[in-house]
Amino acid sequence: MKIQSMKELIEVCEREQKTIGEIMLMMEIEKSGRDKETIISMMEERLIKMKEAVDSGIKDASTAPSGISGGDAVKMVDYVQQGKSLSGNYVSNAMSFSLATSENNARMGVIVATPTAGAAGILPGVLFSLHKNDGTPYKNLVMGLFTASMLGFVIANRSFISGAAGGCQAEVGSATAMAAGTIVELKGGTPQQAVNATAIAMKSLLGLVCDPVAGLVEVPCIKRNVIGTSIAFSAADMSLAGIESRIPCDEVIEAMYRIGKDMPRTLRETALGGLATTETGKQVKERLFCKKS
Amino acid sequence: MEFQSCFDIIGPIMVGPSSSHTAGVVSIGKFIYELVGDYPQEVNIVFYDSFAETYQGHGTDKALLGGLLGMDTDDTRIKHSLEWAKEVGMEYKFEFAESCEYYDHPNTTMVTVKHDDRLVKVGGASLGGGLSKIFMINEKMVDIRLNAGDDFTVLARSYQPRGKVLMEAIG
Repeated sequence: MKIQSMKELIEVCEREQKTIGEIMLMMEIEKSGRDKETIISMMEERLIKMKEAVDSGIKDASTAPSGISGGDAVKMVDYVQQGKSLSGNYVSNAMSFSLATSENNARMGVIVATPTAGAAGILPGVLFSLHKNDGTPYKNLVMGLFTASMLGFVIANRSFISGAAGGCQAEVGSATAMAAGTIVELKGGTPQQAVNATAIAMKSLLGLVCDPVAGLVEVPCIKRNVIGTSIAFSAADMSLAGIESRIPCDEVIEAMYRIGKDMPRTLRETALGGLATTETGKQVKERLFCKKS
Repeated sequence: MEFQSCFDIIGPIMVGPSSSHTAGVVSIGKFIYELVGDYPQEVNIVFYDSFAETYQGHGTDKALLGGLLGMDTDDTRIKHSLEWAKEVGMEYKFEFAESCEYYDHPNTTMVTVKHDDRLVKVGGASLGGGLSKIFMINEKMVDIRLNAGDDFTVLARSYQPRGKVLMEAIG
């Protein structure tokens, strides 16, 4: 089985009467030669590591070694617990968990790249929010990771998933698109609906540049992860409401690729443009790297 | 089709902050560690393009040295690998250049290591998401795919068919 496009993916799902996650699992068995139980337990291990990153990040108010991030997850959790959040429980919990993971990443803590470390907050954010709010069992979240990886697999092979190669659209964009499709599948949507949500989410982030202050995966990366979770929920909601993407997902991915190729080097993780070269961005860089050398 | 497995997308389990600038680079270092069969005594590292611009923020230097010292991507000692290198007496030097003449990718490094009386020069690129590639060993172009978190022992050995034959003696 070789799946190279979202179109092929939907066809295979419909023919085999299986979910996107189940197809990924079948493909992995076929390719790796490992048995189903081994593969599932490897994925479980990743979910557990994600949970540990959330659990440690959510109560850690310390700042990262750079001094430019940290402590925001704790603030967000307090605010949500006071019942003040405007976005509702699903989104605001996802925001808290996403902050926790991404702050942990900035501290050089252990995280799971989904698909990258810079975008590691989005999937755990939405998955553990689903678990908290409607009791989606961990077993289903593991299957959700197979859904996410199938969607990411197609994106990665048709385009790119790193900020250095294609800008933030490739990184937070891909992770958000994967998360949107995963929410849809976990909520019982069809493969076509999941792929629609993937397209809708990715369209919303096309053109986003990778401009990390001082080259650190902190500003604006951490907050972009947080916002990614709310885009994922919006895209999933639209798709579950029956709204389709006017541009097919494969074409959206292709557009992402072309935009990334057109993006100047200064806006692809070199810290030579965008927010990185604002007055404050430059000051941060100077402060950090003069101190070191 | 560079990405072949669900674990290329969900994973690796790693210390932050970057899968391409940290985890993928640990793998390149770890491959060289396995190739040499020990941590090298002297290392010269050239970082190109995005690596050269952002290595400090991403701990790319710590990641590469961590790998060269035999650490895995989720080893929390990576944070302190510069100190570890000093501790074991590994001498290292970093250089920076805009683009690599051997391979066209923003996340590229050329690593020349010395161990006993042997030298080996390895080119590696980190493709994103923890996936990386060794594209050159000495002057020979190769295509070795490294998935962060995998064990490279056997893989590295197959590129070192008769002990240290692969490595050129210093002239």
